[in-house]
This record gives sequence, C-alpha cells and structure tokens, in this order.
Amino acid sequence: MAAAGRDERASVRAAQRGHASGIEALFRLHWPRAFRTAYLVVHDAAAAEDIAQEAFLAAVRNLDRFDRGRPFGPWLHRIVVNRAIDWTRARQLRGEAELQDALAAPEQAGALDESLLGALAALPPEHRAVIVLRHLLEYTPGEIAELLGLPRGTVNSRLRRGLDSLKEQL
Amino acid sequence: MRRELERIEIPDEHEARERAWRLVERAFAEREPQPQRRSWKPIAVLAVALVAIAGLLSPPGRAVLDEIRQVVGVKESQPALFSLPAAGRLLVLSDAGAWVVDRDGSKRLLGDYREASWSPFGRFVVVSRANELVAMAPGGDVHWTLPRPDVRFPRWGGSRTDTRIAYLSDGELRVVGGNGKGDRLLDSQPADRAPMWRQGAGHVLVYQRRDGTIRAVDADTGAELERKVPPETFLSQADLALAHDLLGVGDFATPVRSPDGRWLAVGWAEADQFVFVRAAGGRQIRAVANVSAQFRSRSFPTIAGWCCAP
Repeated sequence: MAAAGRDERASVRAAQRGHASGIEALFRLHWPRAFRTAYLVVHDAAAAEDIAQEAFLAAVRNLDRFDRGRPFGPWLHRIVVNRAIDWTRARQLRGEAELQDALAAPEQAGALDESLLGALAALPPEHRAVIVLRHLLEYTPGEIAELLGLPRGTVNSRLRRGLDSLKEQL
Repeated sequence: MRRELERIEIPDEHEARERAWRLVERAFAEREPQPQRRSWKPIAVLAVALVAIAGLLSPPGRAVLDEIRQVVGVKESQPALFSLPAAGRLLVLSDAGAWVVDRDGSKRLLGDYREASWSPFGRFVVVSRANELVAMAPGGDVHWTLPRPDVRFPRWGGSRTDTRIAYLSDGELRVVGGNGKGDRLLDSQPADRAPMWRQGAGHVLVYQRRDGTIRAVDADTGAELERKVPPETFLSQADLALAHDLLGVGDFATPVRSPDGRWLAVGWAEADQFVFVRAAGGRQIRAVANVSAQFRSRSFPTIAGWCCAP
C-alpha cells in the first residue's frame, strides 16, 4: 500500500513537471474505478463516461495546484461522486428519463448484475453513492463523511438504510 | 459485495476508457504554457467593451483604454484553471442548461434550462425553459414551478424577506411573488428584452416597451413611476447598466459584477474565454479558457450572474 502511494505521488510529480507518462499512469490506475463508480450511481454508461472524463479533465486543469502530500484517489472520487449525484438529481428533475429506462441498457449483464443494479437503482442517489464508496472503493464511513462533506452519522444512516433496502430486494 | 459490484458489466467500458484517455492526453498536452499571440482584433473588442463598462463605473477616457490594452497585453491569465477570483458563485448558461459554479471551480448542472437568475441574496435561482418557470435552491432542489408559455428573461428582485420575479411569457411582462404565488400581468406590450429590478426600497421594475420607451413601474400596483425620460435623470448606476443593455448600446457579453464589487466577469466569445477584470484595487485580468467545452456547449456560454458571498 505504501509503495502504491509512493508510485502515485511520483506519477503526480511527473505530471506536474509535464511528463505525459505521469498523467497516463494516474489515468490507467484510477479510470476503471472512477468510471465504475459513476456508472453505479447514475446507471447510464454515456453519462458515467462524461462524469469520469470531466473529473480527469479537472485534474489536469488543477494539476499545478494539487498537493502531492495528499492522495489523488479521494480527490478524484469526490468529484466523480458529487457530479454523479448532481447528474442523477438533474435527470430526475427534468423527468427526461426514468431510472427504470436506464436499467434496460446493460442487456448483456448477468442476472446477478441486473438484480444488484436494479436494487441499487431503487435507492436515492445519495444512498447509492455512499454504498459505492463504502463497498466498491472501500472507504471507511469517516472517510466518506469527509469526502462528501457530511456528518458521520448521516453516512452511517445512509449506509444502514441502503444496505437494508438492498437486502430486502436481493 | 465488492466483487459483485466489480462484476457488473458496463456497456462499452473499453471504448469509453480509450475515448477518455484521448481527451485527457490532449488536454494534458494543451496544458503546457504556450506563448500566445493575440491578434489586436479581439483585444480591441475587449478594450472597447471594457471602456463601455468603465464608462458605467468611472470616467471613461483614453487613459482607461491604454490601461486595459496594457493589462491585456501583459498576459496574466491561467487558461487551464477555473476558480473564481472573488467569493460567490456564478450562474452560467450553456447549451447543456443552467450551471452553478462554486468558487473552487466545481460545477453543478441544474438542468436543461435556457435562462437563469439569482435571487437577490443568492439563496435561490429562478430558471426557465420553454413552458415553465422554476424556483430552486442552488443545489438543485426545486421549490416551485409555474407552467407558462414561452417563458423568457426571468429576473428576481426584492428584499431579503419579500421578493418578486419578473419574466416575459408569450410576449407579456408578468410578475410573480418569490414564493410562486400572486402571478399577474404587468404589461402586454414589453419589448423582447430583459427587465431589471431597481435597487432600493419597494419593487420597482425597469423595462422597455415595444414602442421604445423605458418605463419604471411599481410592480405591486402597476403604477407607472417614470417614463421616456433620459436615463441619466432618473436611473441609478445599476439602472444605467440596464439602460445600456436595453438600448442595445453594446452587444459584448453583458458584464456581471462580483458580490464584493471588485471584479467584473465578461464572456469573450472570440477567445472562448471568460475574462475576470479587477475593477478596484489595481487592474488585473484573469482568463478561463475552453469555456464552451467546460460547459458542454457548442455555442459560447453566458454568465448569467455572480452571487453571493456565503
């Protein structure tokens, strides 16, 4: 883990110095989870791609200001999750697409995937985000609270309600 | 659960990664500071616009023009970054809809709305699309909606406790309370331009009629307070800015002022930049590049407002 942290800091430093290898290493390391995180919150592959892409572009834009003493992943995940929540809320407000419609997209997904996706989709986006941060990205509730700017109790409560709801549906 | 979440198939996962990498790689390559040659044409456009702005803020003159040229020439912009130089939040309109931009540069898409305006103290936003007026919190929570045909130019004004929203609907000027109640017709012959609330006591709305006259009316009673008088005689500085827009004096993107009054933000379409000009405490210019892409827009986005310091 410590070695991975050193590698990441080295990649950030290289990117800040203008070496493309640095940004490529960061992208290869973090894209899969950033994209998956966005997808599990918004349930729309195209939107997830936009969201993860924007997060990386924001990283590029703010590279010079990035503090190398801090890990890159949480910073990126914070952007991804907040934008994914915003996007889902905006879609709900627009009424342009129902979540159930979006769920029809992954036709090739297996039965387990569909049931888990379906169960996730039934949760409010804020609960989905907390579940994904905890169980895909493996942040602690305290870290999630810090990432999302929420009280720890709120995170715990969303986790508990989200998991209860998932259990009921699965 | 982690394994199960990782097993979920995502359509076009590989292609998405490659597309994203190409974009990121290009953005990274473009991030390198490049010595930029600025043609004098856009500088002249900016300078003229800023002279017009300066004319509303301080005595215009050759010195101002020279100063602006000098500042623009001394490039201090950081085109890859997007953080606001002063406190507050921006409202931006793009083809994707209405956005709220926080001071740290993070953006939130409120939805597919074509116009937007801050409430007087920045606690709410009024947005509109073709047949709907919507009041919402900057975070996106909708407070109320009002179905109306062809809604345009919503503008929110008033005090901290009593506000009104003026807007055009189907060619008519209407006013509704900040709580979404009391919607009523104010004028059936307004020009196709944004109305503006006069700062100060009461709910005084200034707008232009189709016959070209400018009226100041009490929005609650409909009583006309002033009409077709040269603007200088009855308009405040804010009203002068309005008159400037109403009369079509300038077609450069309408400037907005930061909540602390020290900065002006203008859109510079030719350069695809938002330009922030410090109007007090020593001239400075900061620019934000690639604005259209940042707001997912084919056309150049508009800064609809800058409000308010938390």
